[in-house]
Amino acid sequence: MLKVVDLNVAYGSIAAVRGVSFDIAQGEIVAVIGPNGAGKSSLLLAIAGLIKPRSGSIEFAGKNIASKQAEILVSEGVSLVPEGRHIFGSLTVAENLALGATVRRDWPGIASDIERVLAMFPVLKERYRQRANKLSGGEQQMLAIGRAMLARPRLLLLDEPSLGLAPLVVNQVYQAILDLRQSGVTVLVVEQNVSRALAAADRTHVLSFGAIAMSGKSTELAGTAAFDAAYFGVSREAGRA
Amino acid sequence: MIFAQNAIDAVSLGAVYALAALGIGLIFSVMRLINFAHGELIMAGGFTLYGLVAQPLLVVILAVLIVTAVLALGMERIAFRPLRKANPATLLISSFAVSYLVQHIVLMIFGSRAMGVPFLPELGTSVEFLGLRVPRLQIVTIITTLVLMAGLVAFFRFSRIGLQMRAAAEDFTMARAVGVRANRVIAFAFAISGILASMVSFYLVAQTGSVSYKMGVNMVLIAFVSSVIGGMGSVAGAALGGFLVGIISVSLQAYLPADLRPYRDAFVFMIFVLFLFWRPDGLLMSRADRDRV
Repeated sequence: MLKVVDLNVAYGSIAAVRGVSFDIAQGEIVAVIGPNGAGKSSLLLAIAGLIKPRSGSIEFAGKNIASKQAEILVSEGVSLVPEGRHIFGSLTVAENLALGATVRRDWPGIASDIERVLAMFPVLKERYRQRANKLSGGEQQMLAIGRAMLARPRLLLLDEPSLGLAPLVVNQVYQAILDLRQSGVTVLVVEQNVSRALAAADRTHVLSFGAIAMSGKSTELAGTAAFDAAYFGVSREAGRA
Repeated sequence: MIFAQNAIDAVSLGAVYALAALGIGLIFSVMRLINFAHGELIMAGGFTLYGLVAQPLLVVILAVLIVTAVLALGMERIAFRPLRKANPATLLISSFAVSYLVQHIVLMIFGSRAMGVPFLPELGTSVEFLGLRVPRLQIVTIITTLVLMAGLVAFFRFSRIGLQMRAAAEDFTMARAVGVRANRVIAFAFAISGILASMVSFYLVAQTGSVSYKMGVNMVLIAFVSSVIGGMGSVAGAALGGFLVGIISVSLQAYLPADLRPYRDAFVFMIFVLFLFWRPDGLLMSRADRDRV
């Protein structure tokens, strides 16, 4: 579904992503974890078409999308839920969801997808006509995911969906991600919340200083010394000593 | 009675300023550009009127609308689109360049003297209304402005592209990420600003009975002031600021001592400066900007 090969992203002379390669199969949940500044967001923004990679290729459904604009990529099935949610605060919940369907024209399909989002997150139904900036952080995250769903993505990119949310709300958000996968959506999630990411993802990549330090099945990675070393830059034993 | 007369003057001048300010505010809200060449859209509308004044009214109106809208789109395409990723100061300089360029092309062709245009002279006459004598031009101005603003509100609220423009005004990058086409939204904003400018052209020509290559300069300055007072980035604020500046100008004109009246604009701008000490962000600062701070 998605194949990233030797991707490099840089801001001026500062490299953010260095030679990253990985792929995601249809219907898979893949997590990219790593500390702040590891290049996770840059990687996601490059795939979403919001920043232009310096070099490398990004292949989505058999086509190279590395130089495509974000607004085009949405209509091809790549949707982003950005870090910090970026909902349109001055617009209502209803308008935010309608904007999610900007690239579509199948009105009955849009209406039924809105129903689906409201069934998944009932709190959005209660607040449907309210301005989105009146929503709590968790509700805004739900709205951001709902908005992305309305584009009917084949690949959903989530940037730190648990950031700043209470554990109960994080449960709800991750349940939604699992539900989406059930319906056939492929998911790439970037997280600092390691345990959440490992629990939800089929495979996990650890990003460190812009490069992949370690990869593997989530179940195999958790708790190993090598994983700690990759993530924290030190092993658990060294940390204790 | 005199107060009522002044109030009508204030509202009609405020309406014109609001239309001009909306043109500036709308472009600023979607691309953070203060388009000083907006005045040249007004001027181009005026010269189109000058050229076609003998034609049937409907033809004249349509032609002026089309010329200003097309010129606005042309400015965007040639002078602003290539600079979209540049910083706001660069865009501002580009708008000055366009402004001077268009002014001087007109100067080259038509010369510097103001030229008379007999556009609907009957608008200069007044109607008696509840003991007030109201110039027809003011009535037409107020009604046109109200209709146009109601249309704009409906457009922003109910149309798909209007919704996309509001989203782009709040968070352009995120708007693109949901699939809003940047070029389309910006082109729409420019076309609308051209149409708004044409309304100001009609007013200025009917009011002064003449056109000159500098006719838009003063108006764009007032429009800029109005949109700052209203709150840069807020479209509703721009309209509100326009009305406010119009009301203040007419009030000063009416109530300043006679020997100070020639300096009316000095007082207007002084009030503007004092206002900014009080509210540096204007009356309705856009939510997007507040979030950014």
